[in-house]
Amino acid sequence: MQSNAALEYDYTVAKLFTYTAILFGLIGMLIGTLIASQMAFPELNYLFGEYGTFSRLRPLHTNVVIFGFTVSGVFATFYYLGQRVLKVSMAESKFLMFIGKLQFVLYVILALGMVVSLLMGYSTSKEYAQMEWPLDLLTVVVWVLWGISIFGLIGIRREKSLYISLWYYIACFLGVAMLYLFNNMEVPTYLASGGLGSIMHSVSMYSGTNDALVQWWWGHNAVAFVFTVPIVAMIYYFLPKESGQAIYSYKLSLLSFWGLMFVYLWAGSHHLLYSTVPDWMQTMGSVFSVVLILPSWGSAINMLLTMKGEWNQLTENPLIKFMVLASTFYMLSTLEGPIQAIKSVNAIAHFTDWIPGHVHDGVLGWVAFMIMSGLFHMAPRMYKREIYSKKLMEAQFWIQTTAVVLYFTSMWIAGITQGMMWRAVDEYGNLMYSFIDTVAVLHPYYAIRALAGVLYVTGFVMFAYNMIKTMSSSRELTEEPQFRSPMA
Amino acid sequence: MDIRNLQGYASFFMTIFLVIFLYGYIIHLYRSEKKGEKDYEKYGNIALDDEIDSTPVESGSEHQSEKRGAK
Amino acid sequence: MFHWLEKNPFFFAVGVFIVIAFAGLIEILPNFAEASRPIAGLKPYTVLELAGKNVYKKDTCIACHSQLIRPFKSETDRYGQVSLSGEYAYDRPFLWGSKRTGPDLHRVGNYRTTDWHENHMWDPKSVVPQSIMPAYKHMFTNIADIETAYAEAVTVKNIFATPYGDEIKGTKEAWEAYKPKVLEEAKLIAADMKNQDVKDAVAKGEIPEIVAIIAYLNRLK
Repeated sequence: MQSNAALEYDYTVAKLFTYTAILFGLIGMLIGTLIASQMAFPELNYLFGEYGTFSRLRPLHTNVVIFGFTVSGVFATFYYLGQRVLKVSMAESKFLMFIGKLQFVLYVILALGMVVSLLMGYSTSKEYAQMEWPLDLLTVVVWVLWGISIFGLIGIRREKSLYISLWYYIACFLGVAMLYLFNNMEVPTYLASGGLGSIMHSVSMYSGTNDALVQWWWGHNAVAFVFTVPIVAMIYYFLPKESGQAIYSYKLSLLSFWGLMFVYLWAGSHHLLYSTVPDWMQTMGSVFSVVLILPSWGSAINMLLTMKGEWNQLTENPLIKFMVLASTFYMLSTLEGPIQAIKSVNAIAHFTDWIPGHVHDGVLGWVAFMIMSGLFHMAPRMYKREIYSKKLMEAQFWIQTTAVVLYFTSMWIAGITQGMMWRAVDEYGNLMYSFIDTVAVLHPYYAIRALAGVLYVTGFVMFAYNMIKTMSSSRELTEEPQFRSPMA
Repeated sequence: MDIRNLQGYASFFMTIFLVIFLYGYIIHLYRSEKKGEKDYEKYGNIALDDEIDSTPVESGSEHQSEKRGAK
Repeated sequence: MFHWLEKNPFFFAVGVFIVIAFAGLIEILPNFAEASRPIAGLKPYTVLELAGKNVYKKDTCIACHSQLIRPFKSETDRYGQVSLSGEYAYDRPFLWGSKRTGPDLHRVGNYRTTDWHENHMWDPKSVVPQSIMPAYKHMFTNIADIETAYAEAVTVKNIFATPYGDEIKGTKEAWEAYKPKVLEEAKLIAADMKNQDVKDAVAKGEIPEIVAIIAYLNRLK
């Protein structure tokens, strides 16, 4: 085949998505911190007039961190490690190179369109699917292009057997495609009414309870296929590669993969406990949520056991620290989730701050940690320079870990306090607290959460600075490091 | 028999089937490795040895012979 | 035997797809046949209410307010009768929300008035001193997009057979003919308000967002 001795992996597209991951991470987390602070200090709602209220910014925060930061991270790591585990370079196919770049350009247009349209107030009000229909169509195009990249690279591979990470990327691609399409089925009113009104408006194909089912089938599985599956893909590659230890058990990874695929989808209806969806579905959601612990912990334990006999690396290499803590937080939130899905617990926890608390120990502790450590690992290989500062990375690790702990502990307390106060009755069976009592009591916890946000963003700025310095002015490397990433 | 009953039976037998299938799969994985038919764990090396010119753990059928030699 | 899958990406992908689609097939689809029947006497939203619902969506009220009363005594005491599936039959999309930073609104029309909402939206602290809700003063000046709400009514009537009257049709003329009706409804709301700018706007034939959203909130019963 190729007799080209200088054939190398081509990281052009991976680099492009690395930049957007850093940019959108920063924007998304800054907005997050602002809206967290607004809950403690409502005066902050009036910084940007109509465009600065909590309610306008909240969908912007979720969409930017999901579709901006996380999805960029997924694409960046895929375009990096996809080549490597298939042992084929993007440079070998002009077509795939073109698709990759086209995907990036359309993705950036999409992301900007998303930010602008959400600020303007164009929103379908379906959580994590707020984008209106023209942007939904563009999302489909971007996603299909990614699919072409995945299967195109697989098509020209040298390594016949697909590595574990690729299973998860394929699952991410298929799962999001299916759920996104079904959930965003909507009728543009401009087209259906013969040209009346705004072109940006649409109505959902489903109504009421059905819409709720489809929405949380998506909402829950967006967590599955954006925040879990591709992140598991990352850790299955980056942890073994960085530590030089092969994955503890390939067989266990097979079992947990198929287990996760089968079980995850059933659990969506745990978002609708005690609602008007049929009882059997609610029970199904509860039961499968608990079963879900098994495949989730299967992956996480596989990760921790990979480090068996090599725990000294934890003290020596901050990247290993990030990844081990990430899988620990993965275990924590995959245990916490099923607990919240038990009906009697859910009766207290639902609608309270415990839910955002749960989401954030997952996304801050697991998703963002894993994406950052993936990008850190990639940097010396992509830019052929050592990582700018180990000290800075260590400091970032501790600041952000503190932030996550503050975040979820304050939200646990806030959530349970609020849930208990809503239902508290006096000796005659009358409600003890008016609603506003249960808001006022949360002020200290909201303040702690805002502080946690500030700390986390500080850590992220350190990450961004470290990355930019690595790209531009760090010491150059003569050859590619094999396992441990070199850092100054 | 109405649909609720059918759903009940279907779910019961489905569960039994899946449990047997899962354990069968686990036993299959471990047994074929013990008998030496398969070495699953070697696939873990795909991540570790991932230079573009390193030998694939399992290469495509036609052109594996002329893969760039030993590392 | 089974390692075959990991070497055949096509069948691998098909396998993954079947496994993940399975749950949806069993769990989601069967409900579609039954769950969207309206309860007896349920009326579709008026065009003004739809416009208000779009303001509710535009400013993402669901970020902090739910519209789902769960079957607990503490909730029925606080918010009113348990929510029923059929009450949501004309909600596209559903607006149950997932977080109660503020109280549930599914039956807010039973215990709050136009006057209360007007004060509250202008300055929440004037009504509830400890409130952390932002003021929505821009709703008093932004003009609601009634035409889009009308287009929505046409759409759900034509495509989902929502029972609107014959006068709602997808033509410019029908819309022009219908406009005064919406304005009539808005005038009724504005009559209960005291903000002079809002009253002036409605008199001029423009409907500020606040009027639409109050119409919508009053309808939630």
